[in-house]
Amino acid sequence: MSISKEAKHDFDAAPWAGKTKRYDIVKEGSIAVAFVAILAIVLSLLMGSPDETPLTFKGWAVSNADNFYATAVQELAGTSGTATYGGPYNKASDGLNVGPFWLQKWAGVTHPIDTVNEFVIAPLSTQVMSTEIASALATWKAASDSQKQAWATAYDDAITKVEGKLSAVPAGAYGPVPALAKGLTDMAKGGALDAALLSQGGFFQTDNTKQILFFGDGSYLDDAGTTANLQGGTWGMMNETGRYPGQAWLWLYSFWYQIPPFNNEESKPIGANADAYIMYIMGALSLGLILIPIIPGVKSLPMRIPIHRGIWRQYYQANGINRRKK
Amino acid sequence: MTGWISDFMNHPATYLKSGWLQISVSNLIVIVLMLTVFALAVFVPFPKDKEDRK
Repeated sequence: MSISKEAKHDFDAAPWAGKTKRYDIVKEGSIAVAFVAILAIVLSLLMGSPDETPLTFKGWAVSNADNFYATAVQELAGTSGTATYGGPYNKASDGLNVGPFWLQKWAGVTHPIDTVNEFVIAPLSTQVMSTEIASALATWKAASDSQKQAWATAYDDAITKVEGKLSAVPAGAYGPVPALAKGLTDMAKGGALDAALLSQGGFFQTDNTKQILFFGDGSYLDDAGTTANLQGGTWGMMNETGRYPGQAWLWLYSFWYQIPPFNNEESKPIGANADAYIMYIMGALSLGLILIPIIPGVKSLPMRIPIHRGIWRQYYQANGINRRKK
Repeated sequence: MTGWISDFMNHPATYLKSGWLQISVSNLIVIVLMLTVFALAVFVPFPKDKEDRK
């Protein structure tokens, strides 16, 4: 004998009529916390933690000096990723948008970064320099802004034209820019740039924004991300270095970056503003999750997919309600 | 941290790939474990009370 759908729904909605017994939720919580704590401690002792060698400017300049040098020139010319990013670092661009919403622009410059001075000139100025570098630095500081821009842009264009092959760059009116870039490269090779960038803050410095942005302007960080399978376009958001499991719960956030048009930066407007669009999509989905109890159709899904009747099947069977019609 | 398990974990991971879908074996194991725990929670019957056993 089968019971009508309405009768089942009425039974679902009615107060629990089965047996009850005293239940200590604090006890269960305590046991769960203790169990997970012990499990975490044991696994930590056995497996350790991701142990990648830190990325440093020294490592970058030693392993790929030409790329570091070219990136330093970009910082001086204002053509690097950081220099052209827009908010929150500068006003070089309006940043990402979704239709009329320009959140990046509206938030303004809250973490100003001047790549010329903070990435190149200030670190170089902290060093005991050779005569050549000291002279280049003095020439740079004495020049007008338009002159500085002309020198750096000319040299940056020349390097771009020969696709980064420094030995092929023709002679030109580059002013002190080549000497400054060489000085910064030598400084990085010696390890001094890591300390100089970190010391541009308070005594207890925990803000690594500048280092990460500078890294991101060259190929060093990008290559390391590719090697470790951490690129956004290959589900990197979910991954961890080595064989450690990563953030599997970010699968849905990561998913959008794998499919068109989000995975094509050239595609306008969505691909070019993928981060912003995906943020809005995930915001809408998260809001939907929170509002499940009041969304028509979605709120009645448990009636259509009655998993609860499987969990409490003994109770339902005892009251004459089977999951399957006979 | 040293030890063979730690050394094993710090080696490059194996990834399974099919078209645009890519997942590390480690993540796959964690997801399968989570689904297994969920299935157990649904299908394993509640323990019977002493009174019911009688």
